[in-house]
Amino acid sequence: MRDSALLIVGHGSTVNPDSSAPTLAHAAEIRRRKIFAQVDCAFWKEEPSLRDSLSIFRDAREVYVVPNFISEGYFTQTVIPRELELNGSLTKRENGQVWKYCEPVGSHPMMTELLLQRASEIGRDVDLAPTSLLIVAHGTDLNENSAVAAKREVERIRALGKYAEVLNVYMEEAPRVSDWRTLTKSQNVIVVPFFISDGLHSYEDIPELLGIEKRGDVFGEPYKIDNRLLFYAPSIGTDPRFADIIVAQVENFRT
Amino acid sequence: MEQLLAAALSKGACNFGQIAVRKGFVLTHVDDVDLAQPETFRSPEDAIALAGFDDAGKYRPLKTAPNLRHGWRMELVDLGEVVRALDYFYPARLSILREWKEDRLETTPLRATLDRQSGMYRVAASISDEQIHEVVADVCRSDGGCLRRILWRRDASGTIPSTKLPPEKFEVPNEPLPLLCQEGCTILINECRKKVKAE
Ligand code: SF4
Repeated sequence: MRDSALLIVGHGSTVNPDSSAPTLAHAAEIRRRKIFAQVDCAFWKEEPSLRDSLSIFRDAREVYVVPNFISEGYFTQTVIPRELELNGSLTKRENGQVWKYCEPVGSHPMMTELLLQRASEIGRDVDLAPTSLLIVAHGTDLNENSAVAAKREVERIRALGKYAEVLNVYMEEAPRVSDWRTLTKSQNVIVVPFFISDGLHSYEDIPELLGIEKRGDVFGEPYKIDNRLLFYAPSIGTDPRFADIIVAQVENFRT
Repeated sequence: MEQLLAAALSKGACNFGQIAVRKGFVLTHVDDVDLAQPETFRSPEDAIALAGFDDAGKYRPLKTAPNLRHGWRMELVDLGEVVRALDYFYPARLSILREWKEDRLETTPLRATLDRQSGMYRVAASISDEQIHEVVADVCRSDGGCLRRILWRRDASGTIPSTKLPPEKFEVPNEPLPLLCQEGCTILINECRKKVKAE
């Protein structure tokens, strides 16, 4: 891959810096590893734009494009191919360049392992047998299939039989985050948001739905609520190991 | 990119937007060249946070807006780091400039950008020329809007998008490192959409 370039595509935001922050951090980490000749990001709502990347990578011979998205959907299927002028997974340009369009990060099988690691780290040494794991997704996201991806992850983790229960919960549809007290039966509850970045959802909305009163640094200590122990993790996409999965998606394309 | 920068620096210091690039791989705000006690940063990645907020701590959705934060100084070790920091401050602007200097920069008329939109932005394509004239003047103006010079045209006819802005806004200035705009940005497209929806 040393002669190849890597483009990581994020959504970005015109209202807060949290959206692009993990994508920029993963890019800096992968750049530091010197695996690729060039590593850059592009965003739909921030600079550099997707269109800018046509110029940014003008001298690259081969460009791998990895969408830093949880699932296939409107952005991976419509916006990114259109803006980058991609036709399918392999695009040969007139200037001899080849652009290779990889699957979104959230689709990689390593995601299951990462969710497990994240959950066990936030839960510290808590006994998993009396513990429920909740994976939070948006729901009602017409264009995105993030709920489908979250369901797939829950099924995989459940099949491992490590936790008493593994459940999908959503912010905007049932089963709802706010119903966690009745949805779960275990003494300990670990909550992991299956999002690409932190932001209002993970800092404020989900804590509020969970009944956490603290604001700001919400991810620290476990919370004692109704005599149960609640552990709340940052969004999965902020995990530094996401960088490994981005690289793995490139390797996935090559095999 | 490093060659481009080395050439620009051949006569000593030079400015890139609101950043003063000085000998010895030092960056500051152009207003802060002689600032007595700046906060000093040494990693190019520190530029992400510096570029992210204005003096009042407000998020900067457009990095080429003329509201770069003051009070900092960046001391880097080589030209490669300077390029990386400048890429965080003004993403892709060096790449675009290089293409322009090599006479191979492609610009996209605003109408082509608008016609390409889908989903909630599709409606933006029905904006009138008169509305474009207003919106571009509002969003792209150099005082308070955006420092880039606009190289794209309104449509295939080659008409300038807004005569409300001075003619220089659509020309490349005679400076070593001008900030150029080759295609309408997401913020402009969003404002076009809002304009159409408001009528
Ligand atoms: S369209 Fe170009 S000039 Fe106008 S605000 Fe956006 S980046 Fe600046």
